[in-house]
Formats: sequence, structure tokens, C-alpha cells
Amino acid sequence: MEKLKINGVEKEFSVEQFPANLAELLRYLNIEAATVVAEVDGRIIERENFATTKLSEGQSIELVRFVPGG
Amino acid sequence: MLKEKLKNAIVGIAGLGGLGSNVAIALARTGIGKLIIVDFDKVEPSNLNRQQYFMDQIGKPKVDCMIENLRRINPDVKVEGLQVKLTSDNIPEIFSEANVIAECFDKADAKQMIVETVLGKMKKCVIVSVSGLAGYGKSNAIQTRRISERLILVGDNESGIDSVKILTAARVAIAANHQANAIVEIIADGEIWKS
Repeated sequence: MEKLKINGVEKEFSVEQFPANLAELLRYLNIEAATVVAEVDGRIIERENFATTKLSEGQSIELVRFVPGG
Repeated sequence: MLKEKLKNAIVGIAGLGGLGSNVAIALARTGIGKLIIVDFDKVEPSNLNRQQYFMDQIGKPKVDCMIENLRRINPDVKVEGLQVKLTSDNIPEIFSEANVIAECFDKADAKQMIVETVLGKMKKCVIVSVSGLAGYGKSNAIQTRRISERLILVGDNESGIDSVKILTAARVAIAANHQANAIVEIIADGEIWKS
């Protein structure tokens, strides 16, 4: 099993399941990328780079999701 | 001392709808030195159920109306108003002087865009954003949370206008005043002056 910490909670993935990049993780979590601000190990990742941001075991990911209304 | 800090602070307000119009008025009453207020839209009849404008302002640019309203409340506050659409390209320049920005947009992707832009490109600026304020009741579900050093998030994180379908004056104002209160706290506790 490989781990990622997502919003402070550890999540385990089998080796085959482990998301290759940030875009894949969001698809796995069923979250629409257009509404998410993401940080990987404290570094902000711009949305246009989600698909090219590779993930590796042990990383800490913060996902802030926005719903409409204001 | 607090008065002095507030007077020296510059706050950007991105969007002047239900959130932004309430945040602007609360901060003007609190005595913030300067507000940079930005919105591309005009006042519509449907805005008056929750936004701080008046019947006789319908059809006029929100920025012009809010400048007028703020001047009537507290003429000592400097207000810079811009009637433009904010983008990831113009945000760093328009808000370059701001110590704190209030994200007061309606659409989720616009909220995403400004938070990403401020965190990625404006290293000295704090952003106070909102996610989840639709509906009525559940006052205590609306919270202020510090997500990271420069991002504060207000809201219940789930009540979107897409699912809940209604925005009400009181609940929108609760969220807006959480935002304004967080901004006053940031300024009062001096975090923004450290760098």
C-alpha cells in the first residue's frame, strides 16, 4: 500500500490504484478540477498544471473546494 | 493603536455582490484606511434581496453606487473603485497595494481562480475566501477556518447555490461579516506587517 495525506487524513492506495498525478487524484475523488485550489507539500499548484504534477508516496495534499454563491 | 493599524491597512474587495457589498460597509464602518473595490456589473432589481444597494441605484454600476454609499457612511475611508472583470492577469496589479483581499465572487471557478492567483503570485497578501453560504438558518454551520498561512476560508463548505437554489440576506451577511471580522483580526494582530 502507498499513502497520501489528503486534507490531514491519511489515505492508502494499492500500487495499481495510486494516482499518477493530481488530475487523476481529483478524478478518483470525484472532484471537479475547476473548483479546487490545490497545494502539494505546501506548494500551490496551478490548475493548468494538475495533469503534469506527479504524485509520490507520502506527500501531503491540501484540496480546497469551492461551491458557488456570493 | 488598533485605530492606527486599521487606518494604515489597505483591503481589496473582489466582487460587490451579496458578500462584497456587506464586507465593504463593515470595513468602512470599522475605519479601514483604504478599500480597493472591483466589480464589472450593474445593480439589478434581483440584487436588492441581499446586496447593500438602494432602489434608486438600479441600472448604475455597482462600483459607483458603493463609492457613494461608503462616502455617506464614512467619508474618511479612501475608496478606489474599478469597473472591470478580474482575471488572473490583472489581479496582481489591481490589488498590488492590498494587505488582504476579500474574495466575494459568486461562481466557484472564479473563486478558484482568484485564490490560486493570490497564493501563487502575491506572496505578501492574505486572501479571505467563502465557500458555502446558500440557504437559510444553520447560522452556526458557517465557520471561519485558517487553511494555510495566507488563506482563510469562511462558510459551511457545502451549501452551494447550484444545490440549495436560494440566497438569503441574513445568511449571506453572516458569511460576509465572518470575512470582514477575519480581516479586522488579521490587521489587528499584525500578521500582515511582519514581512
